Amino acid sequence: MTLDIDTGLLAAALDRIIPPVDDLPGAGAMGLAEEVIARSRADFRFSDALDTVVNALPSPNAFTALDGEGQDGAIRALESSHPDDFNLWLDVVYTIYYMQPAVHRRMNWHGRSPQPEGNVMPPWDESVLGVTRQREPFWRKA
Amino acid sequence: MTSPIHNPDRTADVLIVGAGASGAAVAASLSEAGFDVVCIEQGHWQDSFKYPTIEPDYELRAMSSWSINPNKRRLPEDYPVNVDDSAIEPVMFNGVGGSTILWAAHTPRLHPSDFRVKTLDGVAEDWPISYEDLEPWYDLNDQVMGCAGIAGDPANPPRSERPMPPIPIGRDGEMLAGAFDRLGWHWWPSDNYVNSTRYGEGRDACNFCGHNMMGCYQRAKSSTDLNYWPRAIDQGTELVTGARVREITTDLAGSATGVSYLDPGGNDRHRAARAVVVAANGIGTPRLLLLSNSEKHPNGLANSSGLVGKNLMFHVYAGVTGIFPDNEDRWVGPAANMILSQEFYETDPGRGFVRGYSYQTGRGQGPGATARGGSRRVPWGADHHVQMQRRFGNTVSLGIIGDDLPEEHNSVTLDEYLTDGSGLPAPKITYRVSDNSRAILDHALVQGQKVLEEAGASEIMINPHSREAGWHLMGTARMGDDPERSVVDRNGQSHDIDNLFIVDGSVFVTGGAVNPTPTIQAIALRTADYITRERKDLKTR
Ligand SMILES: Cc1cc2nc3c(=O)[nH]c(=O)nc-3n(C[C@H](O)[C@H](O)[C@H](O)COP(=O)(O)OP(=O)(O)OC[C@H]3O[C@@H](n4cnc5c(N)ncnc54)[C@H](O)[C@@H]3O)c2cc1C
Ligand code: SF4
Repeated sequence: MTLDIDTGLLAAALDRIIPPVDDLPGAGAMGLAEEVIARSRADFRFSDALDTVVNALPSPNAFTALDGEGQDGAIRALESSHPDDFNLWLDVVYTIYYMQPAVHRRMNWHGRSPQPEGNVMPPWDESVLGVTRQREPFWRKA
Repeated sequence: MTSPIHNPDRTADVLIVGAGASGAAVAASLSEAGFDVVCIEQGHWQDSFKYPTIEPDYELRAMSSWSINPNKRRLPEDYPVNVDDSAIEPVMFNGVGGSTILWAAHTPRLHPSDFRVKTLDGVAEDWPISYEDLEPWYDLNDQVMGCAGIAGDPANPPRSERPMPPIPIGRDGEMLAGAFDRLGWHWWPSDNYVNSTRYGEGRDACNFCGHNMMGCYQRAKSSTDLNYWPRAIDQGTELVTGARVREITTDLAGSATGVSYLDPGGNDRHRAARAVVVAANGIGTPRLLLLSNSEKHPNGLANSSGLVGKNLMFHVYAGVTGIFPDNEDRWVGPAANMILSQEFYETDPGRGFVRGYSYQTGRGQGPGATARGGSRRVPWGADHHVQMQRRFGNTVSLGIIGDDLPEEHNSVTLDEYLTDGSGLPAPKITYRVSDNSRAILDHALVQGQKVLEEAGASEIMINPHSREAGWHLMGTARMGDDPERSVVDRNGQSHDIDNLFIVDGSVFVTGGAVNPTPTIQAIALRTADYITRERKDLKTR
């Protein structure tokens, strides 16, 4: 469904899932809540998981009133009460986070999609076979 | 690519169901021999320039519309699979090229002993054919698909010169090879159907993008839409896509007369043929035979043995992953195809199990997949960034592929309730991991850790069982000389119906401990050769 997701609540939870690091804000403060909602709409498994997770969290006011440890405790509680939905949601959140150019820059990674550029094929060096080639054939005759 | 116009009302010589690894090989071979061939495929052609690895959200698509799991992908051409009672989930692709669109293209061969497990080890059944029977077809398939590798592997019988040099094993491969060498254990560069140089029309060399299992933009990874299919179509094969076969039809005498299928518009159609070849994979094939039941064949077609759908084998998979924190970008290069070790392939009674396993080496993955972690996610919360930094670009894995001996209770049946988009009953899988398989994996996990320790891993993660790893679909319509103990004979011809053939992994008697596709295709080519030589009665041209 993913109709009435409170983006403030989701953003607060995302900040606990992937907290700030170096000069990068947490996943929520980066504004990923909207992207998580929009991309979850494309696959009903994702949107069901998102709905379950958000509905299982405390209300927005109650969640934001908790301190960091309290928020982590609430997330851990839903992780154990709804493990399948939580893990799928977590996978979606992780994947979207690691699509962000700012995240790639911080990781010092090129961030390109695999194609069309690809990488460079190293040379084939036959000398690596030196030891294993010495072995006598040992396959079992049948 | 489209097929030239054919008359759909004609009676074709041979009708093939499924345009994947095996269907393509049979189509090319029979059409080159002059048969009038039609193939019906429920999926579509793929455009390699539109594979998702060109998009920034490729890792999210791999979880959804490009998942290897049809229950997650759920495209109209996919059928759902009930896996509630299965320890392993089957994965596949439905389209021209079949599962070779998504495969890793790691292409070892069965060992001679795999064909004789009853004689040698007193388990399961012997195959009615031998390694030597298949060898010329393995060689031919290596040429057509394009094999990169190097002859001389001491764990296998001598084999002919590979058409291309091996895919370089890179620093990570060398690191593992060194560890195997120091332990005194076997390793050899993998045979792969991946181009190490330009090979085949319009097919470039691999550019080490690292993402085989989402289709290959470079066309470096071989898939049958790139080689067998263009040849088959050049030779006049008619390929009908977007059409789902719902039944193999028979006449009063019990001979196959063709198939009924749903055309792309959902209309019920019939195509007549003098023979039917089923190449719908180890799940699609028993499903179709069971769907083709009738008053005359109440238990499904070609099923007088009662073995259609029984003896399902997947191979059992597990893995160990080492973290090597020196940041050498370990995720570049074809995913699963560096080196293999067959030190523990053959039975050794001292180990407490029969048969054995291979190690395949796997590189790391992109950042999203690294965070998702397969069997072990990077934790969320305060520790996330530290753990992610330790892993990303720094992992190398040993995948364990264990022999999975046939057991009748592991099966494909028709689900009572679940249906596909055409309303046809979906397959239901019943599968448990046997004690022998578990013992194989446990042994391999212990030995695998030794390799990673020897290679210098700072931390080792263990995945005791891979669930979404049913890439190899075998055994569900096995071959044999005894019609009471097998579904097809040594030539892939049904014992019950002499113009019905099966050529996919269903016909495997045992699975060995290697990826099956070169064997599947060698069997398909051998059956096509049999039809060409011995079944001229089917030919009208
Ligand atoms: C992710 C992944 C990785 C893999 N990696 C490797 C590897 O490294 N090495 C290896 O050896 N193997 C690997 N495999 C397995 C390999 O792809 C298969 O063994 C091989 O493709 C099987 O060939 P096949 O012809 O039996 O079936 P498929 O290639 O699966 O083709 C069957 C075709 O039949 C069609 N079909 C089914 N039912 C119907 C119907 N009723 N009507 C019309 N059409 C129908 C399907 O749409 C499909 O296109 C992998 C598979 C996957 C999914
Ligand atoms: S790693 Fe090579 S073979 Fe695999 S998808 Fe990339 S270019 Fe193709």
